[in-house]
Amino acid sequence: MSTFAIVIAVVSLVLGALLALLTIPVLVWLERRVASLIQDRLGPNRTNIFGFRLGGVVQSFADVVKLLLKEEYYPSHIKMGRWLFMLAPVITFSAALLAFMVIPFADTLMIDGEVLRVQALPVDFSLLWYLAIGAIGVLGVIFGGWLSHNKYALLGAVRAGSMVISYELALGLSALAFVITYDSVDFNAMVQWQSGVFWGVIPAWGILVQPLGAIILIVALFAETNRNPFTVAEGESEIVAGYMTEHTAMKFAMYFMGEYVAMNTASAVIITMIFGGYQLPWVSTETMLTHFSTFAVALMVAIPLVVALLIRWMRKNNTVRPTVSTDGGRGFETKVLSIALVVMTLFIEGVLLYLGFFAENPVANTLAVALFQVAVFVVKLMMFNIFFIIIRWTVPRFRYDQVQRLGWYYLLPLALFNLLVTAVVVVGVNA
Amino acid sequence: MSSNIKVVKRHGDTLKEKLYLPAIYDGVKVTFKHLFDNVSDSNAVDTLEYPEEQPTDITSRYRGLHRLTHRADDTIACVACFMCATACPSNCIFIEATEREDGEDEKMPKSFFIDTLECVFCGYCVEACPCDAIRMDTGIFSLTGNSREDFVMGKEQLLSHKGAFGEEVSHART
Repeated sequence: MSTFAIVIAVVSLVLGALLALLTIPVLVWLERRVASLIQDRLGPNRTNIFGFRLGGVVQSFADVVKLLLKEEYYPSHIKMGRWLFMLAPVITFSAALLAFMVIPFADTLMIDGEVLRVQALPVDFSLLWYLAIGAIGVLGVIFGGWLSHNKYALLGAVRAGSMVISYELALGLSALAFVITYDSVDFNAMVQWQSGVFWGVIPAWGILVQPLGAIILIVALFAETNRNPFTVAEGESEIVAGYMTEHTAMKFAMYFMGEYVAMNTASAVIITMIFGGYQLPWVSTETMLTHFSTFAVALMVAIPLVVALLIRWMRKNNTVRPTVSTDGGRGFETKVLSIALVVMTLFIEGVLLYLGFFAENPVANTLAVALFQVAVFVVKLMMFNIFFIIIRWTVPRFRYDQVQRLGWYYLLPLALFNLLVTAVVVVGVNA
Repeated sequence: MSSNIKVVKRHGDTLKEKLYLPAIYDGVKVTFKHLFDNVSDSNAVDTLEYPEEQPTDITSRYRGLHRLTHRADDTIACVACFMCATACPSNCIFIEATEREDGEDEKMPKSFFIDTLECVFCGYCVEACPCDAIRMDTGIFSLTGNSREDFVMGKEQLLSHKGAFGEEVSHART
């Protein structure tokens, strides 16, 4: 193993940890902001550090500090299984976190004959890992609810259990159809399969190749993340906070953050399996590497356009109405951020110019393409997270028996049918 | 059967409704439109950015913080008749009367306290006052302080509040 391989492995691990952990505060903020904007409100936009409010993201960090400093209340009626009561949120959180670690952030790097995976856990059984580890998360919910010795918590845990038997079969079967299509359980191989085209022009994304399987997978993953419209394990109107009723301070925060990590992981899996992962449609990694100058020029045109749009949006919206007495430093913030964005753009332009026309360094080109793919992945991830949030604030909740009905009467037969059709088609094509 | 019975059509039986997805698509269209409109022009969101932005829709009948009015010659209009303290349902007005030396009337308050933490802002004191000496037309709706004593308004403070709607002096005692 060369030094380079070690560096790539460490960078991938750090990237995985950052993408999973640093998105939590962003997602919490995003959820509150998107919810309020959908409901014609503004949401948290006041908290700032030296006048930098970044649209209010700072609020999440203040919340984390608050939760850390809260009293660690421990319900005295819990006599047995205290350690499991404390461990339960950790199980949920770490299961969601570990499941994220097999997502490929960029195509496998081929450097000096070495094959280097850009994956926090460089394994080739990613889908199996995700299904196995992702399913453990609900154990934390069940343990936490059961050991609380509280009827609401117990009801929440029972409902979480009923959820699992509703969606796991459909999830597994729809994933199986994708495994047959892509002929692999490796997420990276799936993305590589999807970077091709079928019928000449249509990108071979999972959602276009397997629309039915894709819908079942998305619905099942919504259920897996315990988010609307499948929030049955918690419900303010019926069972208080459900399984987490007795959990306070950081124990509650672990459940809370675990929910967002699970949502992030589900988004990443959906992107990787059916939305082309880190690839743009029609542009595979080989295309970008063989036509690197064209790729560099296209990026050099696209990045300033995006940055200009962003700055224009910021100048219009990072302001206050004329009736408000003070803008609270928003004008200053806009100025500083604009300058920072322009400087970054110039830097990237310079690097691309050098790589595209003056340096003939295949290693640097590979790395540049990989970085671009990471950026594409992050943008897609955030877009899908926003989709999760929009769905939450659009759709009313299902009752838990309705979820079971949906899972067993509709999703399971459809998934079986889809599996059968897929198998027949794949055998027919290969024969 | 009676002709008064109106049969309401049950929804949810057609294939389109059972599929859920068309309905979810319609819902997302609505929510996404709101999200997109508000993201592209966040200043159009109809919220009051309190406290930088103050409400402008306080009417002249709004019961704000109390004040004691003056006569036209700038002397206190109150004659310490105790009508307001008697009418007060939360017993938060404390008056001590004294003899009046300036020749306007016989009595005036030596001290006049309103405990605004007890006050329910019902306006009965204003209704009860025969001299138009106490009013609630200052338009002040937010009251802050660091201790309980800060919220007990004395005579001087009540006299110093200005009316927000153009009526300065007492109508009854000119």
